[in-house]
Amino acid sequence: MSAKTRYFVIVSLLIMGVGLGTGLVAYYVGFPATAFFSKNGPEELRYMPSTATVVGAVEVREIMASDLRQRLKDKFGSDAQDNSRRQFQELTGINFETDIERIVACFDSHSSADNTALVLARGTFDATKIEALMREHGAEVQDYRGKRLILATKLFPEDTADHALNNDSNDTDVQPRKLPAHNTNMALTFIEPGLVAFGGRPLVEQAIDLHTGGGSSAATNDDLVAHLRGLEGSNAWIVGRLDAIRERAKLPEFVANQIPPITWFTVRGQIDGGVAARITAEARDDESANQLRDVVRGFLALAKLQTSSKPEFQRFVQSLQLGGTGTTVSLAVDVPAQVFDALGAAVPKQKQ
Amino acid sequence: METPRVIPSALRVFEFSLGQMLWSRRSVFLALLVGAPIAMALGIRIIAAAHGLPVINGAGLTGPTLFGILMWLLFVRFIVPVLGVFYGTSLIADEVDDKTITYLFTRPVPRSAVLLGKYFSYLACVVLLVLPSVIVVYFLIVPIGGSIGQSFPQLAADLGMLVVGLASYGAVFSWVGARLKRPLIVGLVFAFGWESTVLLIPGYLKRLSVAYYLQALVPHAMPQDSSISSLLSAFQELPAVWVSLVCLTGITVVGLWLAGRTVEKREYVLEQ
Repeated sequence: MSAKTRYFVIVSLLIMGVGLGTGLVAYYVGFPATAFFSKNGPEELRYMPSTATVVGAVEVREIMASDLRQRLKDKFGSDAQDNSRRQFQELTGINFETDIERIVACFDSHSSADNTALVLARGTFDATKIEALMREHGAEVQDYRGKRLILATKLFPEDTADHALNNDSNDTDVQPRKLPAHNTNMALTFIEPGLVAFGGRPLVEQAIDLHTGGGSSAATNDDLVAHLRGLEGSNAWIVGRLDAIRERAKLPEFVANQIPPITWFTVRGQIDGGVAARITAEARDDESANQLRDVVRGFLALAKLQTSSKPEFQRFVQSLQLGGTGTTVSLAVDVPAQVFDALGAAVPKQKQ
Repeated sequence: METPRVIPSALRVFEFSLGQMLWSRRSVFLALLVGAPIAMALGIRIIAAAHGLPVINGAGLTGPTLFGILMWLLFVRFIVPVLGVFYGTSLIADEVDDKTITYLFTRPVPRSAVLLGKYFSYLACVVLLVLPSVIVVYFLIVPIGGSIGQSFPQLAADLGMLVVGLASYGAVFSWVGARLKRPLIVGLVFAFGWESTVLLIPGYLKRLSVAYYLQALVPHAMPQDSSISSLLSAFQELPAVWVSLVCLTGITVVGLWLAGRTVEKREYVLEQ
């Protein structure tokens, strides 16, 4: 074999080896084709409004495959849950355990629409089946800037309200509860292959606008992106402005005054064999932060007192760690799988 | 003097044939053939990045779907049979045309070892070119709306299917090349005439084709976009995977045995 031939064979085998090796690692580790987290947050931010107040994300596939989830399923799972999952799959074509890769959702308190939430789900979807199911339930399809917009405005007519009856009930004296017909302003569209947007119609239309290149998105909200940068490494997180939610909620004054003066809050979690979570809150000033830390410290002490005679809960409470400096207050918890085993033993088993 | 055994002789022939086959003029055609899907994949990737993939009736094309279509239409239905025809038929025919077969047959090695060694070099040559091409296409296409990890089993199955297909077609056409005077024409008629037609005819005829068993190995790669293919898939009876593997192995072994026997028995008359 000449040197030229030898080099060719080596290069060819190298390409095959690297390619197959990468694919194998991706298959076992669950590494996505595109990184969940770029420097400036998940790519789904591009389709969310820049005024989004709360943004959250869950790596569904990763969590479904986690050891903790398997343990919880073994302990608390039931045939009814399995049947529900199977029925959901038959109706939508979506296997919740494997087809949905991740969900990113946002809440826009500045939106004037009745429904201010937008959910973006990435995964493998049978668009035809989903559309057929929604049409079967009264949805209409319109075209919006080249995308099919499925409007669920008549999703819950009165004559289907009888289905509100609990089918598991054996009490024949219970009369079916009639719910009034109610319209929703929900819409669903497939923004791009493998990405479905569902939520309030104006927000879904805005997502389509952002996809086709118009407007500013949450990815250009510097404050939001700055808070997202610290969330790498977690497979579930929420970031938001509590003060904006409070304004939107229009709470009575005496209730609003009870809520601490928190601006940004962050909840991040890593679910694998156990749960490692951290809740971080930014107070308005140092004094508010100190007061908040005192309050949390008090609750922790109370919790430790209450659980002193319950070892299964004690380990959980002991894992809570208060921290943070300046205007930041953080509460971290690290719960290994054994705690969930103990909690499961303490909680009565669900009826099948 | 004892005649060397077939396998060691075949390996010796394989060693010098591999380089000969790789760096021949025919390899330019081979490079174009395996380079075209990569160029196509690059183009698709650029278009997808700029404009997104087309949406058909609300369902968008995803990378894995496109990869399956490319595998079926490009590799399985075109590249693999073409490579089998052009290289398989030329294993002995080229030596006859170049009048160099005398030198091979005067060596103290079994004639069938010469054919076997050339067949192994053909297989190594096409596998070392086609499989990396498929892998590059995979990494270019699948990430568009898909997952490399999730689609990896499909890639592994497709690579296995390609190796089996190349081996089967190569064996069949090596026999055609050893047996017939104009093997290229017969090979092309078989690959693109008989194989395409017989799959459409209901009944047992389709079992006399390589494509019937090959497509059973990766049925998901078949596109369902046209009414004809949808109709075909409704009436198609695909054999089980193990049946396909056994039959394709049988086709390869029988093809090589027939080719070896033909080479042993036939007197090649060189044209003056």
